[in-house]
Amino acid sequence: MPTLRERLNNELDRVTLDHCVKCTLCEQNCPVAPVTDLFSGPKFVGPQGERFRNEFSVDHSIDYCSSCSTCTVVCPQGVNVAEINSIGRALMREETGIPLRDRLIVNTTMMGRMMTPVAPVANAVLNNKLARVAMEKVIGVHRAAAMPTARSQSFRSWWRKHTPAKPATRGPVVFFHGCAGGYFEVETAKQTVEVLEYIGYEVLVPKQSCCGLAAQSNGLFDQASASVRSLVDQLRSAGEDLLIISSAGSCGGMLRHEARKILGIDDPELADVGLRMRDISEFLMDLHMAGELPTDFAEIAMRVPYHQPCQVRSQGMGMPAADLMRLIPGLEVVESFATCCGIAGTYGLKKEKYEIGQLVGKDLFEMVEATNQGYAACDTETCRWQIEKSTKVTTVHPIFFIHKAYGLAR
Amino acid sequence: MRIIVIGMGPAGLSAALRAVEAGHDVRLISKGEGGFQLSQGTLDVLASLDGHQIDQPLVAIASLGPEHPYAGIGADRVREAVNWAAERIGPELLVGSAEHNLVLPTAVGAMRPTAFAQPSMVAAAATREYAVVGVRQLKDMPAELMAGNLGAESAWIDLPARAGEQDPTSLTYARALEDPEFADRFADAVAKAAPPGEVILLPGVLGTRPGTWRRIRDRIGREIAEVPLVPPSVPGIRLHDAMVAAIRAAHVKVVIGSRVVGFEADGDRLSGVRVGIAGRTRTFGADAVIHAPGGFSSGALDVDSYGRITERVFGLPLTADDATGLITPSWFDPQPLFEVGVRADVHGRAVNADNEPVFRNLYVAGDIIAGAQRWIEKSGEGTAIATALRAADGLAEGA
Repeated sequence: MPTLRERLNNELDRVTLDHCVKCTLCEQNCPVAPVTDLFSGPKFVGPQGERFRNEFSVDHSIDYCSSCSTCTVVCPQGVNVAEINSIGRALMREETGIPLRDRLIVNTTMMGRMMTPVAPVANAVLNNKLARVAMEKVIGVHRAAAMPTARSQSFRSWWRKHTPAKPATRGPVVFFHGCAGGYFEVETAKQTVEVLEYIGYEVLVPKQSCCGLAAQSNGLFDQASASVRSLVDQLRSAGEDLLIISSAGSCGGMLRHEARKILGIDDPELADVGLRMRDISEFLMDLHMAGELPTDFAEIAMRVPYHQPCQVRSQGMGMPAADLMRLIPGLEVVESFATCCGIAGTYGLKKEKYEIGQLVGKDLFEMVEATNQGYAACDTETCRWQIEKSTKVTTVHPIFFIHKAYGLAR
Repeated sequence: MRIIVIGMGPAGLSAALRAVEAGHDVRLISKGEGGFQLSQGTLDVLASLDGHQIDQPLVAIASLGPEHPYAGIGADRVREAVNWAAERIGPELLVGSAEHNLVLPTAVGAMRPTAFAQPSMVAAAATREYAVVGVRQLKDMPAELMAGNLGAESAWIDLPARAGEQDPTSLTYARALEDPEFADRFADAVAKAAPPGEVILLPGVLGTRPGTWRRIRDRIGREIAEVPLVPPSVPGIRLHDAMVAAIRAAHVKVVIGSRVVGFEADGDRLSGVRVGIAGRTRTFGADAVIHAPGGFSSGALDVDSYGRITERVFGLPLTADDATGLITPSWFDPQPLFEVGVRADVHGRAVNADNEPVFRNLYVAGDIIAGAQRWIEKSGEGTAIATALRAADGLAEGA
């Protein structure tokens, strides 16, 4: 069996090393390096360290990179800093071994399947201090880290009984809710479907499993590759050439670019899905710019702090959720402009990284506490859990407000 | 109008802010961040011409030839433009004027003229009697070399910003100095070590925020001046942060991390730009485009292995298309290549050799414009801001 190093298809990422002019813009914008000296910064572990990473890993501080991708986003020279670092970390972890904890916490679909039928019990356990102390000691998930809330009904089970409120006038789109949307953030998934149907689309929802993003960021590249390939087939089964609309901010990014750039998957099927993938806010704002979005929004007199997650920002779409929410009369949107909330998928859950994650998110949490009037908005599930747990402010997907302003809330 | 601004350096940020203030719907698209943060944190207007140092930039601008980026803008509009930018950035961060240059010491002890500098720097313009204090852990300010060149005495303080860190950057110190307790320890160490001199020169790391330096000065009890260092340039980051805060407050839509890879046109008018985003290329529609992507150093102007020079997004006509002979072997010699770029008309539109607009609604600003070696004549920020305002103010011309 060839080693991970031999199987990686990352030469294109490594070629970008030579574009680095050492301008330090990545260092300036990294959210982790300022709060801990355990991470020496994206330039040091990336364009510098990578040159020495031929046979063996040379730098273990790379494990403290949170994979937020900010370094790649701000690089003016086109160096794939984050991708190089993700691959370097996977290689390092293959050498040093991946802890059981990191193999467990990436199985989000399995967690959802197990927890949904016993939701009250699962929630009671996750909210029990003694159980959480035991969980920290045994598997290394920090006792105070945000955990998903189990729901007694999965999205799928709601969808099976669901009928659209009115006939479609605009043709079909495929809906991608992600595994968190399927089991934990079920309301977000339902609201997205209802908004799409309200504005006239026929919504198709193929069965869908995990995209593998969490496995990827924990260095489990084989598992991640299998997951994303299987999801690609599922999404393609719903129909060719249809747009795929996502309410799962970071999972959409996995399909659009991360699986190709980090896992090195060059399949035309993946490229096809990436080409058709739209974030829900991006999709609705594109309709608006084309003059095709109904704007019969009811007033929502409220100020809402909005945080765009790092992994949504890295998709290069601008900040469509903020633009979209601003279409609602009375809704004052205050962007956080924070680099990252500190959870970065599974990073901030881990016993040894929890405090770092809290420091990364500190300014964001203070901003949310200072500006909210009952709600905060954010596009990605784990970031919402992190913000809500750290601020006690109810944190929703931006579609919550669109759904409400269209008068669809029950 | 729907305006797209390409680039996020001094030119792009200024153009976006000026256009949004005029009531346009502005989207700024940038491959990455950059420009101001790599600068000295000052505004250069013009400081050197034909090997002579210039005291009065605006007077010298009047004598420039027709190929210079300032030509056709004129001293009055340059004054107005840099004053506008200094006002937007605010007096907590920029003082000075384009009438006379301030002459300030650099990190190697040379004297460098600039028009506007930060309040934390300008005490050094009032005297030449300096005391230099470096920080042992911070390799980017060689205190002894600097003091030697300035005829001053130097001293070191030994104060790690984070215990155990072997190679801290300026930014590590700037962040640490936002903690008042560390700032006091820093100030006390400087006060104890500093040799005699009217102004103590310190590394340009005195806080990420404007004003942090005052607490340090007051605690030391002597006049101090920050000296800008190589990137990460803390004073440059302060200017960038101030401009970004201004465009955010005005709701400029920012798309960052995405390269503009092409355009769509309808006859002699652009209708939008094509942007490489995650997974695909998409179009953003526009009524006008201000192209401020930088020059050779950002990769907006490209030289291939045959010496062919091209502008990468629109394929704009350039003042030269062959780099042969334009790159000289010595690092410090003039590099005529850097004078190569796009020509602009009086409204800031990119023009061909016959002075006709390439597109009626395509404007250029900043380093992409031909006619100057900005680092030699020290005109980078001034030409960027003046051409950005010319473009933003000329938008009606292409409507």
